[in-house]
Amino acid sequence: MYFEAELRGRKYKIDVTEHRHSWKVSLQPEGQDWKNYEISKTDFKQAEEYISFLFKGQSYLVDVIGKDTEYTVFVRNSYRAIRIYNDEMLLHDSLKKGGGLSGGADLRAGMPGKIIEIFVKPGDIIPENKPLLIMEAMKMENEMRSTREVKIKEVCVKQGDSVEAGAILIKFEENYTLS
Amino acid sequence: MSAELPFKRILIANRGEIAIRITRACRELGISSIAVFSDADRDSLHVFLADQAYNIGPAPSKESYLNYKKIIEVAKEAQVDAIHPGYGFLSENTTFAQACKDAGIVFIGPTKENIEAMGDKLSAKALMKKANVPCVPGSDGGVETIEEGRSISNKIGYPIIIKATAGGGGKGMRVVRQDSEFESAFRACRSEGQNYFANPTVYIEKFVSDPKHIEIQVFGDTHGNVCHLFERECSVQRRHQKIIEEAPSPSVPPEVRKRMGDAAVRAAKQINYVGAGTIEFIFDNQTKEFYFMEMNTRLQVEHPITEATTNVDLVKEQIYVAAGRPLSFKQEDLVQHGHAIEARICAEDPITYKPSPGVIRACRHPQGPFMRVDSYAYPGYEVPIYYDPMIAKVITWGETREEAIDRMQRALTEFVLTGIKTNIVLHKTILDHPKFRDGSYTTQFIEKNFEVIEPQLFKQVEDPMFLIAAAITAYNDRKSKDVRQLNLVSNWKRLGRKIALRT
Repeated sequence: MYFEAELRGRKYKIDVTEHRHSWKVSLQPEGQDWKNYEISKTDFKQAEEYISFLFKGQSYLVDVIGKDTEYTVFVRNSYRAIRIYNDEMLLHDSLKKGGGLSGGADLRAGMPGKIIEIFVKPGDIIPENKPLLIMEAMKMENEMRSTREVKIKEVCVKQGDSVEAGAILIKFEENYTLS
Repeated sequence: MSAELPFKRILIANRGEIAIRITRACRELGISSIAVFSDADRDSLHVFLADQAYNIGPAPSKESYLNYKKIIEVAKEAQVDAIHPGYGFLSENTTFAQACKDAGIVFIGPTKENIEAMGDKLSAKALMKKANVPCVPGSDGGVETIEEGRSISNKIGYPIIIKATAGGGGKGMRVVRQDSEFESAFRACRSEGQNYFANPTVYIEKFVSDPKHIEIQVFGDTHGNVCHLFERECSVQRRHQKIIEEAPSPSVPPEVRKRMGDAAVRAAKQINYVGAGTIEFIFDNQTKEFYFMEMNTRLQVEHPITEATTNVDLVKEQIYVAAGRPLSFKQEDLVQHGHAIEARICAEDPITYKPSPGVIRACRHPQGPFMRVDSYAYPGYEVPIYYDPMIAKVITWGETREEAIDRMQRALTEFVLTGIKTNIVLHKTILDHPKFRDGSYTTQFIEKNFEVIEPQLFKQVEDPMFLIAAAITAYNDRKSKDVRQLNLVSNWKRLGRKIALRT
């Protein structure tokens, strides 16, 4: 499973493969070579509420708390925050946040994908929590809904378009107030 | 177990670790312990460990732990013989002490008159002077003219500090090191007092340049006996709150210790003090002079280091004294042996000191020889936002100071507490600091000599360890979630929606 991560302002690529008796974890700090770690499952064990992790001859008692893409690793009386994510986790994140970032003046793509269907046209007034469009990403259809009552100013994509993460999909009237 | 004790049931009007400490003393004495708890404390360990427990109201302290009427009501209902207030909350509240008396319940603590005598700083200082206890020399009131101020300053000796009576927050304060600087500082203080606080009145005190906080534990009984149980040094403070205490102080020579103890006993005798109390002194580490600051008329958070070095159970002694017994020791019986340190573990950010309440995930307390943990943390416990962030105290003992410090380092290394931020790593950094190790630290130590910087916190842990641990956990988290359950839109639903939108 492939991840990207950020620790102390530094970016990493991480690949995790599970084998029967071990984990293979490959790390690539940005701009450097991949490094491979073979972690025996007996060296990474859940014990009580935490993990006993034997790593390079050191014994660590570790607790890892993951919330969405924010992970906190507690060890040796302190902790470090790590942002760790892959496309699928970003999708979960955007779904949880109300199907797209439609809180602002426009609706943007949370991740790269393909527009499957559009339900609105310029001038439409759409009540809260109604579908605006469906975008496919990672073979999943992600329905994006309005998070408030909006008036459509412009639809910037058409059915079948491929879009990049962050692309503007729909613009809303900025000065529109509730009817 | 003591059959003659008149108490069968004691109510503990407190929460957290100190409530547990008192429950333990009760249990060892064969006395039933009655806990009280607010709505926010139903899951607090002090409730689990007591014999009985009563809800006393909503989470805010004012409506529960400070609601003395409710507490008296519960005490009557539970038919208790005595109430132990712990520290903080109602422990130095004369109205509460009187209400206990009126209800025919023994207040385990000093008399109402004791609390009153020490509650007002000015009258306390006057009483101390009467008892020949050294107080910070100064003008003892407002100083109006430059001539008057200079004459006082020359009499008490430089350096002195000029303070605006109404001042605060560092404004309206000037340290003066010699006579020639006096005039301009005096004018500046008066004008700052006028500008910031609308009051130009200033007073003058001796300035202690290397101040240490050193306090003497005293104990009195109802038969007129008073003893002291030596000193504790509590100069490691952040935000004017103690976080590390040690006994004995590394800075007090034996001859000064004797004088401090005698002064503390005189202070307590002056007001016929009953029970456990603490005389706080400001100690000048250059001159080794000490001056009375205030008296705390209650049990202190840091009492375990006195217990560890004198072998006296202070909470049991409080109960004996409240029951009318004479002190179970004489001054000549008491000796300080070895060295003890206490570290207060708080749910707070180790860098900003901001409280960090939340749910504790893993919790494994340190164990092993010559140490003690007074804690109310357990896995899954949510530290409430309403009360003090201190969740545990770790106390270690050693034959020597160095051994006690090394043992504390060891104990803190063993302490696993996750899910919330704690100051454990701050303690570890302090314990290794040369100014702590050599004992020269003052109350300004953390402000002046100290800055915990993030990279220091993990000097021995490599980044890949964090990344691998997080990545394997993220992998396991992903694996257990079925992606396909997510919001898949069927063609039929889509059609239905289309139709709905057309209308």
